[in-house]
Amino acid sequence: MSGLRLDELTKRYGEITAVDRLTLEIGEGQLLALVGPSGCGKTTVLRMVAGLIEPDGGRVNLGGADITDTPVHKRNLGLVFQSYALFPHMSVNDNVAFGLQRRGVRGATLDAQVSRALAMVRLDGLGLRKPRELSGGQQQRVALARAIAISPQVLLLDEPLSNLDATLREEMRAEIRRLQQELRITALFVTHDQAEALTMADRIAVLNGGRLEQIGSPEDVYRRPANAFVASFVGRANFITETLAVRPEDLSVVAAAPDDAQSRPVRVLVAAFAGAAIHYTLALDDGRELRAHVPPDGRVFRPGEAAHVAWAKEDAVELPSSGARGS
Amino acid sequence: MNAGQSTRASLRSGYGLLSPSLLLLLVIFLAPLALMLPMSFKPYIAGQGIGTGFTLEHFVKALTDDYYLEIAGRTLMLGGIVTSLCLVIGYPLAFFLARTRSRLRSWLILLVIFPLLLNLVVRTFGWIALLANRGLINDALITLGLIATPIKLLFNFTGLLIGLTHIFLPFMVLVLMAAIEHLPRDVEDAARSLGAGWLVTFWKVTLPLSLPGIVSGSILVFVLTVSALVTPRLLGGPTYKVMSTLIFEQFLQLLNWPLGSALAFLLTLVSVILIAGSSALARRAGAAA
Repeated sequence: MSGLRLDELTKRYGEITAVDRLTLEIGEGQLLALVGPSGCGKTTVLRMVAGLIEPDGGRVNLGGADITDTPVHKRNLGLVFQSYALFPHMSVNDNVAFGLQRRGVRGATLDAQVSRALAMVRLDGLGLRKPRELSGGQQQRVALARAIAISPQVLLLDEPLSNLDATLREEMRAEIRRLQQELRITALFVTHDQAEALTMADRIAVLNGGRLEQIGSPEDVYRRPANAFVASFVGRANFITETLAVRPEDLSVVAAAPDDAQSRPVRVLVAAFAGAAIHYTLALDDGRELRAHVPPDGRVFRPGEAAHVAWAKEDAVELPSSGARGS
Repeated sequence: MNAGQSTRASLRSGYGLLSPSLLLLLVIFLAPLALMLPMSFKPYIAGQGIGTGFTLEHFVKALTDDYYLEIAGRTLMLGGIVTSLCLVIGYPLAFFLARTRSRLRSWLILLVIFPLLLNLVVRTFGWIALLANRGLINDALITLGLIATPIKLLFNFTGLLIGLTHIFLPFMVLVLMAAIEHLPRDVEDAARSLGAGWLVTFWKVTLPLSLPGIVSGSILVFVLTVSALVTPRLLGGPTYKVMSTLIFEQFLQLLNWPLGSALAFLLTLVSVILIAGSSALARRAGAAA
């Protein structure tokens, strides 16, 4: 049993409550993505789990043991930073060996385990290089190899992809997910990028202002957002009314109001061709703007044209009023 | 404009920006050095002064005569020990100042710099008052019955060591503080998360990464120590000499400029070699970092 449980975890900085009684659980071998806007407290949560910040209240429980008061170096966890945080004065091999050496691994066993960790992140043969001789993506792989080499009980990833360019980021998403599933390692992944969370995670926890807004599978959070904040933070939400939200890809743009679906008259503001779809920006009568991503096979509307947006009743979500929760 | 032209243009403006300081260095540093070297090869005739001709006698004297060798050895030893003391005392202090989030931080830094704000002579006389045979320290120790006769703290190695370490400590602390402040904290956190306790993290990560700062602080303190004149002159008295006081004496009291030049040239040479050596070390450490 190697799951991670946070119980009423709280951190205050003076008047500000950075993390407010956060309770959540990550099942063994699962990857949970903690998402939220910057300043929502997600990194604070990760650092409390790591033991780098002391919580003001609540407990951290790892694999059935309360580790709240365990110092960092005695918690068995793998930490991957946005800045990579490699040891710049050590070779790649020495970086990966560092944690193993602290656990008393020596000699041939050490070499074998270092090679295995580097092979897992596909960096075989680069062991003698210094970190600065590697590209950003390779450095992040070394950081990953270093973290998993010690067979940690939980892998903590703090915005690990934010310093990489877009192509590399997608490659690394898949890489981290593959590794995490192969090793069946429990993982907490902190990111501000909801797309990253949706594609990688088993479950997503949405944090806002230090509070948990919703926790659930990516599909749950995307399809059935608990409130307006979640709906607009995870993916893009169109608010047809104050409380009724529809995703851009669930809207269609048609000339005449259909009988079998919900619809509203709109005026086309922008029609942008984006390859797989046409991205419309539309205005409702009351001035509210909508975005619709429509397959480019139907009729294309020009800016200024009048049209209707339509959606299936089951694609619309009724949400509690957005004024109910802060920011 | 093609690439070659723009490189040349930026090179030109680079030299333009550097020229005031280059000119200054040339006039106040290289020119005297260039004048000093020929001087050191001229014979010295007692009672008459500088003769004409060419001789290596001053260099031979400086490098073989026990008297000069002892003073040279003492000077380098002093430089080495003062540097080590500044490092040992300064590193923990610099570490604390670089890491503390106390509101008193700027006051504490001011306290470190404070000795530099005092006049050198005043500061040195302060040490004389403390270290003399009938000074504060010896009086206190005798009154407390810990010693019967005063310990000699002045006009010897101990006196110079105390005085010079005190004066040059702020330089070491400031250089180290800047170096430690710029260490990436994530890297230390990473070491701790991998199972390294505080001590191992310091020894394996923090210390190696602050090596460039240690080297530049040490070079600075070493060079300042071996070239210090006023403090050794006052705390060493007229008889306990180091290289700088010896050179001073040759130039201004004995008027033996050729020997003074030879000694000054040798001291400069040793310093330059040490600086070059440790800079190479720092570059390697820095390149590794």
